[in-house]
Amino acid sequence: MLLSFAQWIQFTAFFTALRGSANVYPIIMSLHMVGIAMFGGMILMTDLRLLGWAMRKQSIADVVNQFRVPKRWGLLLTATCGILMAGSKAEEYYYNAFFRTKLILFAIVIITELVFYRSVYANPAALDQSPSVPGNAKLAAALSLLLWTSIACCGRGIGYIEPPLDRIHARIQVIHDAALTGPRAAYPLKGRDHHDVASAN
Amino acid sequence: MLITNPLNSSALAFPILECFHIVGLAFSIGTIAIVDFSMLGIGLRSHSPAQLAKDTWLWTLGGLVVMLFSGLLLFSSDPDMYYLNWAFLIKMVFFVSAVIFHYTIHRKAVSSDVPPPNTKLVAWASLLLWAGVIFGGIFIGFIYPGLNIG
Repeated sequence: MLLSFAQWIQFTAFFTALRGSANVYPIIMSLHMVGIAMFGGMILMTDLRLLGWAMRKQSIADVVNQFRVPKRWGLLLTATCGILMAGSKAEEYYYNAFFRTKLILFAIVIITELVFYRSVYANPAALDQSPSVPGNAKLAAALSLLLWTSIACCGRGIGYIEPPLDRIHARIQVIHDAALTGPRAAYPLKGRDHHDVASAN
Repeated sequence: MLITNPLNSSALAFPILECFHIVGLAFSIGTIAIVDFSMLGIGLRSHSPAQLAKDTWLWTLGGLVVMLFSGLLLFSSDPDMYYLNWAFLIKMVFFVSAVIFHYTIHRKAVSSDVPPPNTKLVAWASLLLWAGVIFGGIFIGFIYPGLNIG
């Protein structure tokens, strides 16, 4: 069912056009990255503040509460761009082990946020009052650091898995691409981003 | 080829370096953006941009070092390809400008006790310069020199 949904969504007019565009796709990927740089930095700093490794002059309450809104905007930007990229190659992504891992890690992130919401994120002022940062807040921060870093690395990994060409329908014309005669041909494992320029439907 | 770069003998070396490159980017550009947003009145408003910059500069520098060295190694895997890639050249122009801007004009605007009238302009310029670095970096993978070299 998921597979047929993936096949349907990638062949909608919108995602077909997106997949075929030489410029829009990399612009979306760049915006995805801008979101990671600007929103990821706030996650890192919040986690490091909870661990007591950075921004110690600011209270935990200030860091957690005041980064909350911009982090949400950053997440919105990054997630929107991510959905646009995944949707345009949904069938290929369905088979991609890194994409699957990434989705599982997202689920774990949501679970940890829910688990630690009441004790850590909902009332950060209480953390400032205790003489040292409680263990569960540090655990939440360490998990968050580990999970988000892994998510970023999985995202980078997606481009390195060759799609099962016998099973996917939105073929990318790898064989006829001038790319294979270019300087990168010697190292075909170095990402497939460039093939997208010649993507066909 | 007479010299073989060990990076090219392992299929995992390049993607792992890219992960370091991205994490370094999140630390460096992320902390710079925190200060920029603060100059624009977004995000951490309980402290001045100067205070935030004092608290994050080491993370910024650490991220820049990781980003720079992983980037040099990535570049070393296929230098002539990068040299011919206009997105890479644009990225380098943005990167050098962004670093110089960050440690001169940006630092001066952030650290002055009374925020200069063009504070917001400096913040926007910083954000756009770093965004330019990111755009250039992504477009490298989508550009082909179209020449048979090497």
